[in-house]
Amino acid sequence: MPRQGANLTIIKVDNLTKTFRAVQKRPGVRGSLQSLFKPEYQAIHAVRGLDFEVATGERLAFIGPNGAGKSTTIKMLVGILHPTGGKAEVLGRVPWRERAPLAYQIGTVFGQKSQLWYHLPAADSFELLARIYDLDSEEYVARLHYLVEIFDIAEYLHVPVRKLSLGQRMRCEIAASLLHSPRILFLDEPTIGLDVVVKQRIRDLILELNEREGVTIFLTSHDAGDVEVLCKRAMVINHGEIIYDGKVSDLRRNYLQTKTVSLKLAVPWEGFSAQGVRLLKQRGYGVKLEVDTAQTSIEQVIAQLLARYRIADITVDDPPMEEIIAQIYLAQTPLSEEGGAC
Amino acid sequence: MLTRYLFVARVAARRQWIYRRELFWRSISMILFMVVFIALWKTAYQVSGRGELAGYSLAQVIWYLGMAETVMLSTSRIFVEISEAVKSGSVAYELARPLSYPLLQLARSLGNSAPRFLLNLMVALLVVLLGTGQLVGSVPGLLAFLLTAGLALLLDALFAVLIGLLAFWIEEVMPVYLIYQKLLFSIGGLFLPLEIFPLWLQRVAKWLPFQLIAYTPARAYVVFDVGELGRGVAGQLVYIGVLSGVLWLLWRLVQRRLVVHGG
Repeated sequence: MPRQGANLTIIKVDNLTKTFRAVQKRPGVRGSLQSLFKPEYQAIHAVRGLDFEVATGERLAFIGPNGAGKSTTIKMLVGILHPTGGKAEVLGRVPWRERAPLAYQIGTVFGQKSQLWYHLPAADSFELLARIYDLDSEEYVARLHYLVEIFDIAEYLHVPVRKLSLGQRMRCEIAASLLHSPRILFLDEPTIGLDVVVKQRIRDLILELNEREGVTIFLTSHDAGDVEVLCKRAMVINHGEIIYDGKVSDLRRNYLQTKTVSLKLAVPWEGFSAQGVRLLKQRGYGVKLEVDTAQTSIEQVIAQLLARYRIADITVDDPPMEEIIAQIYLAQTPLSEEGGAC
Repeated sequence: MLTRYLFVARVAARRQWIYRRELFWRSISMILFMVVFIALWKTAYQVSGRGELAGYSLAQVIWYLGMAETVMLSTSRIFVEISEAVKSGSVAYELARPLSYPLLQLARSLGNSAPRFLLNLMVALLVVLLGTGQLVGSVPGLLAFLLTAGLALLLDALFAVLIGLLAFWIEEVMPVYLIYQKLLFSIGGLFLPLEIFPLWLQRVAKWLPFQLIAYTPARAYVVFDVGELGRGVAGQLVYIGVLSGVLWLLWRLVQRRLVVHGG
């Protein structure tokens, strides 16, 4: 497999825009008829002038709330959607013009859409993919063994996909997308709907692949947690515009330093105080705390809470995307210019 | 390039085979249908007092029906899945793979049909033999039937994919399928051999593709005639070509629509 130097640009996007036309429905029967013959369109600006570059081997997170334009962008980069304006190059190709040749070099995982045959074991889908991507049988068997081992999916391989849990299926999905040794892996919401432990597992696997094979990772998520663990660089997109592009460590330091701890107590609440901990809400046995992790670690807070209370349930959450975005706007952070520099 | 589609067809066939018991129960509908029609035809021949209607003896017309029904019950109705994929928008993701979606669906459709066809054929032979007490047909007739039935199923699969893709323009494709199905029943010659129709209708029907799906294979079995078979196969091939062309154009339209407007 050819591997290129670390600083080569692998994705280049220049003023990329996408505007959808949606038929504007008018009220009433007369309105419906009018819409049928003389439809009025409403322009929806899904993506407004994106500019960025991605270097070979980078792990990039593309985060934003639902409807921010993440999927639209990824669809344009893999060539299944035509932009309204602007340019993009992926591996030196214009995706929407050279979709098929590009498909041999990229892998895609769409959290919303399975690429495995639902009623059949994953092994059948793998074999079909091997044929689609013209792998010779020796190459295929070796690659399959390797991926099965890394993703630990040997026991699911011969079970119909519909019988797998979402987490098991997602491991098979990602393994399937890597069968043809793509140079870039596009993951659109790969952890959607997964529980915390499985999410972590998926993140670890993606990380491992990036490190072993140098696969460039382009990941979208509305879960800030994905970014923290997985990526070095993050771009935050909102209303079709990039509002932050920089190191994840900076993002974390500036906007992700708080976490919320939600508790369900088995005993009445008697208050709690520690450095950097703020009570957000308390009603009956339910308590919500905000922890500033710059001042106190989550482990410490939880240990202290456990020492003091009997606890029925506990969850730790990152601040929601909307809050992070609000903070980014508040801070008026200028757009980072160091796009593909890491 | 083609091996991937053969593989798809094989996997689809294997999947049907896994559920062969279920398939077998489905052939109950074939048995019921045949029993009713055998009774109907017997009465019709009795009432007419003739040994032949439009050149078919009673046994021939029943064998005709059994063979036509074998093809009809083996079609795979792939349009259901396609129209669902279109409505849910998931069809867009199919473009991300270096694979032709229409060919993929055609392969699946044929793969689905193959095991059904074998089972239906066995059931039909048994029921018709018991019902008429007479073996009609010949080895060349059977071979001609297998050839024309295969092409008929391909033609039907092309129609099904086309109907499925119509979901891009119309909400509900089921009515279109139902019209198509009724055309097969009537001028396709499923219930009645075309020869029974008035001449003008026969002439119209012969130019349309529907009779190539039901009438052509059934007729080839019952009345083996090289010239007729040649015309039938030629007609099937021409329409396979025409529908493939239409499908190719339609898929191009669909792709443009998907890629430009995002489905």
